[in-house]
Amino acid sequence: MGYSALNGYARYSSGVSNEAGALMEAAGAVVQAAEDSQSLFGEKAAALSLLQRLAADCADQGWDGADACPIDRTALRNSKDFVRALPDSFPLPECAAEPDGSISLDWIQTSHRIFSLSVGPSSRLAYAWLDGADCGHGVESFDGVSIPPRILFAIKAVIGYEHSRLRAA
Amino acid sequence: MSTLDSGLPEHVGDEEYLARFLTQSNQYTATVVKPAAFLPSVKGRETSVSRHGREPEERLWSIGAEAAGARNLHGVAILKARAVRDAQLDVLAAEPPPYHAAIRGWPWIEADPALQKARQKALALQLVSSAGAPLLRNEVQRSPV
Repeated sequence: MGYSALNGYARYSSGVSNEAGALMEAAGAVVQAAEDSQSLFGEKAAALSLLQRLAADCADQGWDGADACPIDRTALRNSKDFVRALPDSFPLPECAAEPDGSISLDWIQTSHRIFSLSVGPSSRLAYAWLDGADCGHGVESFDGVSIPPRILFAIKAVIGYEHSRLRAA
Repeated sequence: MSTLDSGLPEHVGDEEYLARFLTQSNQYTATVVKPAAFLPSVKGRETSVSRHGREPEERLWSIGAEAAGARNLHGVAILKARAVRDAQLDVLAAEPPPYHAAIRGWPWIEADPALQKARQKALALQLVSSAGAPLLRNEVQRSPV
């Protein structure tokens, strides 16, 4: 069973039996062990640590000197799930705190080529992108396991992911 | 035209520079100010800026230190008022404190917070594009005057 599938088990418990609970616990332990291993999880472990540190840095009301909300715990969990769900070897985002307690995940090429995703406590992800003179925004649902294809496609387009892979090959 | 305590005119002209001070290390990279740095406050529904450009630096950082208060002042994003208005937002003088102004007109959609955020982000990205690279405080301190 793959890491993503295990992560799905670890996150959700659709069963109500003791066996289902034990399965979820075991899957969670395997996921945690994988993430603790730099060799297995590589840069994603570092990205998850950065998210955790961001939440700690912005844990107090008014962290911006005004009325910013603390980073929401569910937003942090959703952000981590999003990073975990990214395809292997996919570029990892920069992260930033937003005034409403959400977390911004940003793929930045230049100041004119950026994809910015907002992860809050709900399953709906707000995003916007800028690609030279071209721009857009939208909202997609995230189930905690699979990245919405439209978002993945848009990130790839903005950062030129396929081009860079072809150049590297 | 009336004048404010700072000596600036009440109307913020299109060619005036605006400074958005950066007090969190996660708000920028070496080359870009991240969109989250421009998003509006939750209660005030506006983004605080100061009516000041890169020069004179001493006054820029003095205003920034005042704005940052107890927080670290990492740097500043600078853009023209025209760029704010080109993004269909507005900037209005909001003294005191001296030089303070507010970017207003952010979309607010109570019924759909996700769509609201998406639209706000789209506008913030336009400000990011106009601001370019941040002016970082350490760089200024290192560079010869």
